Amino acid sequence: MPNYVKIEILRMLRNRRYIIFVVGFPVVFYLIFSGIWGAQTDSGGVRAAVVLMVSMAAYGAIAACLMSTAVPWAQERQSGWLRQLQVTPLPGWAIIVTKLIASLLLVLPSMVLVCLAAVLTQGVRLPVGEWLVLIPALWIGAVPFAALGLLLGSLLPADAAQSAAMISTFGLAILGGLWFPVEIMPEAMQSVVHAMPSFSYADIGQHLVAGGAAPPSAVLTVVAWAAVLGTAAVFAYRRALARA
Amino acid sequence: MDAIALTDVSKSYGNVLAVDGLNLAVEAGRTVALLGPNGAGKSTSINMMLGLIRPGGGRVEILGGSPEAAVARGEVGAMLQSGELIGELTVRELVDFVRRLYPEPLGLDEILRVADLTELARRRADKLSGGQAQRVRFALAIAGAPKLLVLDEPTAAMDVESRLRFWKSIREYAAEGRTVLFATHYLEEADENSDRVIVITRGRVVADGTAAQIKAGIGDHVVRFTLGGQPVAGLDGLPGVSAAEISQDVATLRTADPDATVAALYRGTSLEIRDLRIIGADLEDAFLALTREP
Repeated sequence: MPNYVKIEILRMLRNRRYIIFVVGFPVVFYLIFSGIWGAQTDSGGVRAAVVLMVSMAAYGAIAACLMSTAVPWAQERQSGWLRQLQVTPLPGWAIIVTKLIASLLLVLPSMVLVCLAAVLTQGVRLPVGEWLVLIPALWIGAVPFAALGLLLGSLLPADAAQSAAMISTFGLAILGGLWFPVEIMPEAMQSVVHAMPSFSYADIGQHLVAGGAAPPSAVLTVVAWAAVLGTAAVFAYRRALARA
Repeated sequence: MDAIALTDVSKSYGNVLAVDGLNLAVEAGRTVALLGPNGAGKSTSINMMLGLIRPGGGRVEILGGSPEAAVARGEVGAMLQSGELIGELTVRELVDFVRRLYPEPLGLDEILRVADLTELARRRADKLSGGQAQRVRFALAIAGAPKLLVLDEPTAAMDVESRLRFWKSIREYAAEGRTVLFATHYLEEADENSDRVIVITRGRVVADGTAAQIKAGIGDHVVRFTLGGQPVAGLDGLPGVSAAEISQDVATLRTADPDATVAALYRGTSLEIRDLRIIGADLEDAFLALTREP
């Protein structure tokens, strides 16, 4: 299976769409936004350069999870590659586990680049202990989005999966307050926002960089979404694999 | 133990019966052609042998157990009718990935050589021609050194020359005592590359034997000559003749014994025979006769 993870990663790193949308965009957004607002501080005294770093890392992780799962997986089902794998000794569960592992690994390039950009261009400095909690938290917290990507890839044909992954990525980014502060949204939207996995996901990061602990309610929200989407993904996956 | 054993296997899609009580057994070590027109149920049968489709009824046994178990043990390799590769990966990466999924694979260089891909090893899969991609899919099928190799219309996208080279590769693989089953609707392919031909149509076996036996089963030769407007009767009473047909001044006699028929034509009738031709049955005739709608 390590071999399978390797080729899954290799193919995505050679995919121009992944490199541009997933690795490139979050860093470019970070450079633009932090160039404009980076010096401001929020009510809690945290610099916008730091807040933006968490938001863009979160956005990058969500994009990576959805893009590296939904579209290739839908294509493989349609193009017959899945059937090719089904006539090898590779067990069915290994495919979904590999996709999950690969998508989580593919989260790392954009996350690391955004943090690097924050450190190098905005002089962001965090205590070593905070980095060591922040990066794993943002990394593991991406599981619900990988599950969502696999769910979409199992349910939809390739071109629809492409659109669905785009819409989900942007929807999660906007409704999760990753691109615009949640405070500027209308009152009615606030409850929607607070229920989004992307909001809680980024919120955990924001609390960590503010020197606090992750709020239990946010952790619970992410875990709940991971459970729901993960279960749905497994069901949809089994259906996609089922023999006629 | 048979490599493949299908007992009363059926499968329908909606109310279309794709496979209808199919019985066949293939001994280990043989190269067998599954010959039939489009829609005969070849692919459905093959997908059931591979465990990709569950039979609606009957039993499918592969190498002594269920198809799923044989596939999981790595004893089966298959080239399905369609299937794209992962475009971003090179030929070498794809082949190496698949061979490592098997417990006792062939060596990477050997696979590339047999599939005639050594020169293309570093090329990305999305830069391959149709025939080249077919060869990669063949390489993936043999990568695990499977005991049973199943090929569903393997030469579909190939030109004549690639086809010849391709069959050379398959014969090389089969020569190691492995079992090969391939589906085709090309008659010469079945004739030249298999030691047994199973003809199926409308989901049933209609003939089974060597190509020569199948031809012999149809048996007949055709004696054909120009009548030029002469009145004629009783041609179907000539020795050996099973059917006589006259159209546009040409008489066509189907006969089991062309020598006797021709002798009787000259000696026993007063017809003026012109343009006499004797045509041997080929597999094409046999095939058409066997698969003709009733």
